Amino acid sequence: MQIKRSSRTALLFLIPFLVVILLFSLFIYFSVSNYSENYLFKLLEARANKVARENIDNNLLDSNSLSNQEKEDKLPHEKDYFIPINKELNITAEAKKVGINESFFTDAVNKGSAEFVTKQYLYKGIRYKSKSGDFIVITAAENYFEINQAKNLINTLLFAMGIASLILLYIAFYFSKNIFKPISSITEKVKEISSENLHLRLNENNSNDELNQLTMTFNNMLDRIETSFETQNNFISNASHELRTPLTAIIGEADVVLSKPRQAEDYVESLKIVLQEAEKLDNKTKALLFLAQTGFNGKAQKFDKVRIDQLLWDVKENLENMNSKNKIFLDMELLPDNPMKLKVNGNTQLLHLAFSNIISNGCKYSDFNTVTVSIGASDDFVYIVIKDTGIGIPKDEIQYIYDPFFRASNTKNYEGYGIGLPLTRNIIRMHNGKILVNSIQGQGTTVQITLPTWKPERV
Amino acid sequence: MRKTILIPTDFTVKSLNVLKTILVNSQNTDTFNILLVHGISLNDSIRDLLFYSKSEQIESLTNPEFQEACEVIKNKFGQQIASLRIDLFSGYNLAAFENYLEGNKVDAIFTCERKSLLINKNSFDLSQFIDKCSVKVTRINSGLNTSIPEKGKIAEVFINQVSMG
Repeated sequence: MQIKRSSRTALLFLIPFLVVILLFSLFIYFSVSNYSENYLFKLLEARANKVARENIDNNLLDSNSLSNQEKEDKLPHEKDYFIPINKELNITAEAKKVGINESFFTDAVNKGSAEFVTKQYLYKGIRYKSKSGDFIVITAAENYFEINQAKNLINTLLFAMGIASLILLYIAFYFSKNIFKPISSITEKVKEISSENLHLRLNENNSNDELNQLTMTFNNMLDRIETSFETQNNFISNASHELRTPLTAIIGEADVVLSKPRQAEDYVESLKIVLQEAEKLDNKTKALLFLAQTGFNGKAQKFDKVRIDQLLWDVKENLENMNSKNKIFLDMELLPDNPMKLKVNGNTQLLHLAFSNIISNGCKYSDFNTVTVSIGASDDFVYIVIKDTGIGIPKDEIQYIYDPFFRASNTKNYEGYGIGLPLTRNIIRMHNGKILVNSIQGQGTTVQITLPTWKPERV
Repeated sequence: MRKTILIPTDFTVKSLNVLKTILVNSQNTDTFNILLVHGISLNDSIRDLLFYSKSEQIESLTNPEFQEACEVIKNKFGQQIASLRIDLFSGYNLAAFENYLEGNKVDAIFTCERKSLLINKNSFDLSQFIDKCSVKVTRINSGLNTSIPEKGKIAEVFINQVSMG
């Protein structure tokens, strides 16, 4: 089974800390035990010297004078041995008698001191020089630390380790959970998004951290996916509608002409009409083909310098050709003197589609009143303001206008699919622009589009 | 001919329409030094005055929409605008205002009939001085003050048509 990343992080966090704590405890244990052992040996050495002096030197003079005081000074379970060093010394026998190994005795004889540790006792041996010859004096005392304190220390350390690991476990899981919380929330949200609700977006915040970048990347990707999705939809519905109109005209004309025998001029007349319509059809197919080739063939869209005023003139011409009732006024009052300020980095076909959508919406919903399109530019942005005096958008529905297929409640009398505005917004987003729709029902709508100006260094 | 003109402003995009109207209606040969002035009284606290910076105060009063709209106008009327400056006036009486006008060599004042917004608690309406001052004052009809969809947005400066009056 795959361990979840959060628990893996917790574990990774936990293990080094546990190792450190373990090493730390071992260090404490050994340093404490070492210290207490050294301390005891020092005591033993002092004792050995003292008892040797008292027992060996004083023995010759007065054997019992100091025995009382000696009792009080004795270390716990102290044992003293005095072994004279002479030719009769049998190290093996003595070692057996005391209960320690032989090298202890040779050490004591040769180096002057020796130490030995058993579980119960510490032995300290010194070579003592007295008037009556040299002695090996061995003092043994209970291994006080090992017996009384070691167990307690180990218990304390184990307990502390247990508590520390519990706390660490908690902290580790808390942190790992919190670190991965935003990622899980992104996962949850992305799971929600399917082809039916592509307009959903992840929540972005303003910070510039990696997670926000991830979110933004996701959102950008969704923008692109949604745009191509909707473009496809829009394309198909528009294309079929556009293609059908001339076809209907051709079929109708042919039907009428064929219904009875006619004069040659009539045939010429109607063939002319058929030709005209067929030419229209040809033009439209060409245009569609062009659109398909340039924009939406799945390849990267080409971004170029686009002059916005020129583009808008094209849009105006195009729309007025499509429907002679469209009235569009291009307001050049705030057009900047410097044409460089009007250039944006963009794809002509897409921007054309976007502005056509907005402006034709303006014409449609204002019953072919004049639509004013104003252009202006600041140093960093180009502003395009499209104002109509149409039916407007009800105030409580304005938040839904970017949902695909949403149509406001007052648009029943107008044809439409509810695709134009979301498509436009996506195109504008692709150009790093902003679109702002303000409307008062019954008075009109103002659409403000902001596009960043083309900058040479961005190429 | 170069003129210095003063326009009271309340840092709304709407107030820039006065400026736009003047520029649209003037001859191409005229150039203007423009002073957008906002009336605001200085704080009394000595500590605040010690760290007072006019540019910081202007910074806090403006908004991006206003600045963008200024840039749009500057880009359009680049030839006619010799300079465009935002300034604060913090005098208490008419004499101070007259002094200010003289110091800045103001030739004309343009104001709109609409009551200006007091965006800060220390702001005051300059019209009390403008009404009485000695410099020529031109009032511009600010048009209908109805609710329009683009209220407060930069689009306002594109749309509003104001007549010279």
